[in-house]
Amino acid sequence: MPNSRQPLQSTAEASTPLVSLRRGAGQLFETERRLNAVLNNASVSIFLMDDRQHCIYMNRAAEQLTGWTLEEVLARDCPLHDIVHHTYPDGRPFPLHECAIDRAFPENNQERGEEVFVHRDGHFYPVGFTASPIRDDAANIIGTIIEVRDISEEKAAAERQRLLINELNHRVKNTLATVQSIAAQTFRGPPDPAARGVFDARMAALSTAHNVLVEDNWESASLRSVIERALAPHLLAEVDLNRFQLQGPDARLHPKVAVTLAMALHELMTNAAKYGALAVPDGQVILTWSLHDLDDGRQQLNLRWEECGGPPVVTPTRKGFGSRLIERQLPMEFDGSAEITYAPAGVICELQIPLTTLGWVGQESIEGRQAL
Amino acid sequence: MTLLAGRRVLLVEDESLVAMLAEDMLLDLGCEVVVAMRLDKALAQARTGSFDLAVLDVNLGDTRSYPVADLLFERGTPFLFATGYGRQGLEEAYKAVPVLQKPYQAAPLKHLLTRLLMGEPPTREGTGGGPMPCGCHISREQQPFQVDHCS
Repeated sequence: MPNSRQPLQSTAEASTPLVSLRRGAGQLFETERRLNAVLNNASVSIFLMDDRQHCIYMNRAAEQLTGWTLEEVLARDCPLHDIVHHTYPDGRPFPLHECAIDRAFPENNQERGEEVFVHRDGHFYPVGFTASPIRDDAANIIGTIIEVRDISEEKAAAERQRLLINELNHRVKNTLATVQSIAAQTFRGPPDPAARGVFDARMAALSTAHNVLVEDNWESASLRSVIERALAPHLLAEVDLNRFQLQGPDARLHPKVAVTLAMALHELMTNAAKYGALAVPDGQVILTWSLHDLDDGRQQLNLRWEECGGPPVVTPTRKGFGSRLIERQLPMEFDGSAEITYAPAGVICELQIPLTTLGWVGQESIEGRQAL
Repeated sequence: MTLLAGRRVLLVEDESLVAMLAEDMLLDLGCEVVVAMRLDKALAQARTGSFDLAVLDVNLGDTRSYPVADLLFERGTPFLFATGYGRQGLEEAYKAVPVLQKPYQAAPLKHLLTRLLMGEPPTREGTGGGPMPCGCHISREQQPFQVDHCS
């Protein structure tokens, strides 16, 4: 480097009046006051470095970012890198010569990038920086000005998005698999023109269950909403309270429980409409449920579906999709029990479902980051 | 009659509707099927039951089916993983296990299970099912039937 250049001063006296060179005293004072007002109210952190990479000025945002005051940094009398950037996040030492910010000075170009700084209290935080050379009248580089932004929130948002997309992918795949299975069950056996209508109704039931989940960001579903929507004749209608008596407390259901329960109720309702209480004008369904505490801290849902006022019940000769889903799959999926009784006065279905704890993989880290 | 007729298969799959589908596919292949939808039940079956083959869904709610895989390794029961995420979604120690890409389809399921029955018992090193997802790396002469899903 040429000897003729004037290095920036790195003493405390020189740094406080940042721009106090070559100006008349009154004008100088006014300019300095304005610049300090600008610098100390800026939300971006600004560091001014001399040719030895010592920090000779930092604004208020920079003090807050690093945890160090300008006076403390000046007193250390060492490269800024050794104060705020001395360790890699994996714990290895980070020598000055490996630092991209440092290279902005000798390589004479604007350097942008992302690094991870170490706060005074020891925690790491990601930053975005822009480092530009400062020149004297003869265009010699005499220092560096570095702008730094804390990008923790941007990083956390990107991670949240990644986790949410993974979770979405998982749920879309699950839903497609469910649709595949319903199609396979519905169209099994010899061709039946009515199967298409049955399939459409099952798709509508699945779609409705998902609507209930979306109301709570797919984290849980209201038990009462799942029941009411499953029993409504179509999307825009309310449950017909002349036909259904509903009684029981609300609860938050895990999405898996919500979807399987909604499909089970849909099958019970379809059966009742075709053969049971809902096939005649005066028939009714009484649906009662309660919640009980289990020893392991979870709750168990006990739900009873009872039809009355319908035609005499005949035990079906073969078991279809609905009874298989309810009596076999549902107990296996949730470690519960289920029983359908074809009592002459009306079908009775009793379900005991231990409620799966709410939450999904990745959710905790997302909510942890939101707390930042 | 195929090689699969009468074979006892442990099916581990945690979604009610999806389990029905896979069970029906296995029944259509002539297998006897035992379904487990929760990790504890699957472990109990793998520990005490006697199976010729097993089909393991990798994700069981918030847990994975790897402990079941460990038991099957110990007992020398050939098995495959069913997953919608492919081999890269598996933990390193299980990457030698054959993978059935979800959604379940009858032809690849039949193909992989047949390969498993003909092969050596699985090991972590992959001398059994081999590293290929469908066993199509074997020579034409060894293949017992037409492979139409991955030519």
